[in-house]
Amino acid sequence: MSVLQWIYQRFPVREFSQKHLTGYYAPKNFNFWYYFGSFSLLVLLNQIVTGIWLAMEYTPTADSAFASVQHIMRDVRYGWLLRFMHTTGASAFFVVIYLHMYRGLIYGSYQKPRELLWLIGMLIYIVLLAEAFTGYVLPWGQMSFWGAGVITSFASAVPFIGKYLVVWLRGDFNVSGVTLHRFFSLHVTAIPLILLLLVFFHLVALHHVGSNNPDGIDIKEKKDMHHKPLDGIPFHPYYTVKDLMGSVVFLIVFSSVLFFAPKMGGFFLEPDNFIPANPLQTPEHIAPVWYMTPFYAILRAIPNKFLGLLAMAVAIALMFVLPWLDRSKVRSIRYKGNWSKFAIVIFIISFVGLGYMGVEPVSPVRSFLARLYSVGYFAFFLLMPFYTAHEKTKPLPERVTT
Amino acid sequence: MKWLKALGIMIVFAGNVCAAEDISIALEKAPVNMNDIQSIKRGAKFFATTCMACHTLIYLRYNKLAEEAGITYEKMPVNVKTWPLGVKPPDLSLEANVRSVDWIYTYLHSFYTDTTRPYGVNNLVFPNTAMMGVLVPQQGQLVLASDFKLVHGLYDRQPQWYNVLEYQSQGSMSPEQFDQLVTDIVNFLDYAADPYQVEQHRLGYYVLAFLLIFFVLVFLLKQAYWRDVK
Repeated sequence: MSVLQWIYQRFPVREFSQKHLTGYYAPKNFNFWYYFGSFSLLVLLNQIVTGIWLAMEYTPTADSAFASVQHIMRDVRYGWLLRFMHTTGASAFFVVIYLHMYRGLIYGSYQKPRELLWLIGMLIYIVLLAEAFTGYVLPWGQMSFWGAGVITSFASAVPFIGKYLVVWLRGDFNVSGVTLHRFFSLHVTAIPLILLLLVFFHLVALHHVGSNNPDGIDIKEKKDMHHKPLDGIPFHPYYTVKDLMGSVVFLIVFSSVLFFAPKMGGFFLEPDNFIPANPLQTPEHIAPVWYMTPFYAILRAIPNKFLGLLAMAVAIALMFVLPWLDRSKVRSIRYKGNWSKFAIVIFIISFVGLGYMGVEPVSPVRSFLARLYSVGYFAFFLLMPFYTAHEKTKPLPERVTT
Repeated sequence: MKWLKALGIMIVFAGNVCAAEDISIALEKAPVNMNDIQSIKRGAKFFATTCMACHTLIYLRYNKLAEEAGITYEKMPVNVKTWPLGVKPPDLSLEANVRSVDWIYTYLHSFYTDTTRPYGVNNLVFPNTAMMGVLVPQQGQLVLASDFKLVHGLYDRQPQWYNVLEYQSQGSMSPEQFDQLVTDIVNFLDYAADPYQVEQHRLGYYVLAFLLIFFVLVFLLKQAYWRDVK
């Protein structure tokens, strides 16, 4: 009896790979947008591996954190490479996640029976924001410190218990070494564990309901005599080799940034964060990193702090309830009516516009634009039950198109 | 839909046009070259003999190049208790990342005589700077041009420092020599901020070359497998 046989009898290796790889049938018409799910797994792996090595040299105390990052950059062999892989990976994570979410949005991948898959995905997004935020505090530069101050102060807007909540979050009356130390703990243990668990659930849910496709039609309805979907192909080897090819293209783009522009002109690593945290000196312009700016712009667009935070929370909550806002008979944008297409364009302009407004300092014109974009953002979601239910949709094809 | 996209792009960028600038002059492009090791070494020597009277470079304390130029932790002014004007000169280890190389290059060029300031000099990029005119002996004395306000109006973009300042007296160096000195300093500070840069770029080319070749292989692999997908 070979070693493999010995293992197979005690562990369902073959059953597992049959269920999730060679016997998992995915639609054959996946296009460009379907790469980003596997890219996000690749980036997650990158963050975990580089994070482990960074944590070996990083010191989470207010006195030494900043210096320990410089120690990594200068004295640790290939430390600069590990750190840039981690910082570039953080931004890359959001690039691929946003594109992955956009894919779900245009092809209606959140519709029945994939509502829970979408909800788990949205939870991953929220947890990822928390992971990115706690990680951003760790270099203990000016932006880390003041950004942590601004974001933890959001909790103070909670009625009645707000001011106690802020102290509870920070572990101190102001952001301090105590805050830094607990954020380090959350960043390297608690949040990654939750993230991995949610990613596992996301895949379990996906493999239970099956993948959607650009046509938004169900491939399980047309099967051959072996009960295999006519328009489906086994994930392995077809999509493993295709995603491998895609991953190399992704790595080419990723490496170009990593080796030649890791600061991305201040978007991935902000200039002010090269100054050690100084509680006595407020930076002129505190802006969150680019991936949080759309929601930050909504917050700033509303003059009242509590209402601003409420609007920001609602903006995120609306994405959760998307499966119940869409009343269309069809999933994919390909067969939806002109109103849906128009709404998507408005959404893209609003979301990108908000992101841009969140980066820039406030001015009267920008405040006006931020409000305009906020209206666009909310209108996209809140009017969705009406325009999706009443517009004229195109007839669905029998089989997937290529 | 095309007009809609165009409108969208216009709205997105409209905010940018209205941006007001705080700095009244444009930053001159610094001719930095991270591969010019001789220039970096000259800059390091100048730093050790002049700048280090006030400025530290604490994150360069284990750096071989800096050590050879005489930049060691023991010689850095780390224990000075009181500074003139009460302003502690900043550590410059990461200055090139904080301010940008162009900022430093322009800053070191744009000191001018201003009798209202404690040291008799002011700066165009950093108004009311606490730094002395350390490079005045080399550069010479500059003053605001009598028509600098007019110059300001003439340019639809921001003027360069040399549009606004004029020489009152020549220093020990010619303008070309002085440019080279400042370039050396900026090259060194750029190196100080990211000493791994040369290695980073070199490794980057190898990685990209490998990935491009690897792409051809995985592309052919994908084609081979997908041939039978109709």
